[in-house]
Amino acid sequence: MRTRLRRQLLPYILVSPLLVFIVALSFVPTVDTTVEAFFRVMPLDPPTAFTGVGNFRALFDNPAIVTSWVNTAVYVAIGVVASVVLGTAIAVALRRRFRFRGIMLALVILPWALPSVVEAVIWSWIYNPTFGVLNSALKSLHAIGGYHVWLGLDRWLTIALIEIVQVWQITPLSALIIMAALQSIPPDLYEAARVDGAGALSSFRRISLPLIRPAVAVAAVEALVLSLNIFDQVYILNGIAPLGSSVMLQTYVTTFEDLNFGGGYALSLLVTAATALASMAMLALLYRRTEAAVT
Amino acid sequence: MKDLRTVGRRTGALAAAIALVTAGAACGSSSPSSTSSSSPSSITVAVAYPAPPKALLDQFTKQTGITVNWVNIGWDDLQTKIAAAMSANTYFADAADVDWSKVGEYEKTGWFIPLNQYFNVSSLSSDMPQLGTFIVDGKLIGMPFDSSFIVTTANANDFKKAGITSMPTTLAGWSSALGKVGKANGMANPLDIQFATAEGLSTCWYQMTAAFGGSVLSSSYSPEFTSPSSPGYKAMTWMVNAYKSGLVPKANINVTDYDGFTTEMAKNRVAAVMCDYSGSVASIYNVPSSSSVVNQTEYVQTPGATGPGMNVANPDGIGIPRNAHNVAGAVKFIKWFTSTENQAIWAGLDGPKDVVSTFPLPARLSSFKLLEKAGNIGQASQLAAILAAHAKAPFPNGAPPWYVQFSAAVQTNIHEAAAGQETIAQAVSAIANTVNQLKASG
Repeated sequence: MRTRLRRQLLPYILVSPLLVFIVALSFVPTVDTTVEAFFRVMPLDPPTAFTGVGNFRALFDNPAIVTSWVNTAVYVAIGVVASVVLGTAIAVALRRRFRFRGIMLALVILPWALPSVVEAVIWSWIYNPTFGVLNSALKSLHAIGGYHVWLGLDRWLTIALIEIVQVWQITPLSALIIMAALQSIPPDLYEAARVDGAGALSSFRRISLPLIRPAVAVAAVEALVLSLNIFDQVYILNGIAPLGSSVMLQTYVTTFEDLNFGGGYALSLLVTAATALASMAMLALLYRRTEAAVT
Repeated sequence: MKDLRTVGRRTGALAAAIALVTAGAACGSSSPSSTSSSSPSSITVAVAYPAPPKALLDQFTKQTGITVNWVNIGWDDLQTKIAAAMSANTYFADAADVDWSKVGEYEKTGWFIPLNQYFNVSSLSSDMPQLGTFIVDGKLIGMPFDSSFIVTTANANDFKKAGITSMPTTLAGWSSALGKVGKANGMANPLDIQFATAEGLSTCWYQMTAAFGGSVLSSSYSPEFTSPSSPGYKAMTWMVNAYKSGLVPKANINVTDYDGFTTEMAKNRVAAVMCDYSGSVASIYNVPSSSSVVNQTEYVQTPGATGPGMNVANPDGIGIPRNAHNVAGAVKFIKWFTSTENQAIWAGLDGPKDVVSTFPLPARLSSFKLLEKAGNIGQASQLAAILAAHAKAPFPNGAPPWYVQFSAAVQTNIHEAAAGQETIAQAVSAIANTVNQLKASG
């Protein structure tokens, strides 16, 4: 009897450490955030009081936050498209064995391994209007007459340049995911296609692309989540200026600069919901279970 | 039936596990003050400043038996940590930074213990010109430990090369002189003003408004900058025009840290700095290892609309958080740290070995006298003269209790106006709307 009970409890005992972490670090804060989002929580202006949807309404009345949603949509569009396209190209290029492939792989992975703060600092020097490599390279090529201020003056240029930094960081992950899928495609399929007269482009379009579609979907969702939550790069390269601000940056500003915790809770709840919905939509759009019929 | 019982038992076990975990998490969060505390013979001091030399701190320990645990945190991070700790009602430090801009908020929230019972305000006022900045409704929220104020600095050599030997005292005169200085020294943009969305931009607007002879808010915290003829409106227009006309480097729109901003002057890429910090000449521009303009820069009278303008005071203070564990020790430390002799020592009285890095100026006039007597260290007499005659608080009735949101609106909108994203009128209107909303919400 006791042995049976012990056997029945064992799974729960094994799972409990993980459960502790999930409940304490994810479940409790999520519930707390959801509840507090409906309260006015301003430590500098107490007391805390129920406000219904007041925090949410205030967020949409704030032009900086509205701007940040539009900016974030642009970050996501650039991030997802660029990282998936570049990731696929890198995966295809590195798929076959060649000399120095290992070194090439290590170099490709390097940006992914670096902390995003470090990368943003490196790129801030590249974009630096006085000493930056970008200005000096473009001037040497006679592409520009004088040094430019790249960030902070033009909204779309600022967003594009900041997102390039993130694409640089997240593309290696997309490449690895897609390369793993590419390597799992049986070579026989390509052989058969070649016998039937298909060229490299045709083989890629008709064999590789359909079979790596699930991996592309995973890479796209990964890119979507990361670019929807972009913070470090924006903060380091452009500060808290609304011009290139992302919605995560505005969450920080609302919570820790304005010390409006209720507003910050509400905004983070909206970001979570947006991330979940966009990820599900992306998966529904791209993910299609594909099995290579190997005979 | 057996299945149902099993499911029931399993559900019960799961619920028990969740309850246990949740209770554990709740218990964990209920005793936050159990960590990082000071013993009665030690205090924790959290400020955005490097520590005084160890030998001097050891002297304090010898005199009082109290060991000092000095925590130097960046200014912005420190403000966030103070707010987070105090709103969570947890121990943070025994003595902590009280910035001039936070005094109204701290008085309203009661986060810091009023110091009136430990310090004699009436006797200190004559020696500490900026003490009033830390008093709200008669409560002394913090003790000033420096007398930082906004100044104008200029590279005298660059001006001389342009044939300008006496500094202009009006803003119009400055605009014209800077054009000549730029040409004579091959500088495309000879004037440094910070335009990134940071506290420095807000402070600069208060400074420029003071230079035009006014304040941004009235004593009842109403906007005083909405009319185009008001000093605040004129100041913003002058700043934005200086940026757009090319007097100020275009890159300043995005230079977010003070070090990067002052590097332009230290490397002689600009000839003057508007809204500089008192102390920059000694602690930055005259440091040979990082400056190419050693002994070339000087503090000059801040230009105004018709003559020398006022300088806005932004002193740092130190106070005692309400959750401090060692209040008596903190009081002894603050008295020691702000004493006449030590204030002069932090500014260089006993030579560079005892200087507190980045310390701008002593909070006490008596300390200035010691520095002057010892050979006018750090241009003490010039700064003392500006401090006595021209320094004024940015807000006539102290910083408003909603200063954080106000400053955010100021820096954001002036930045947007300079970047061409909105007009001056739109920026002014947006800031005024924020003020009115904040006032209405109490």
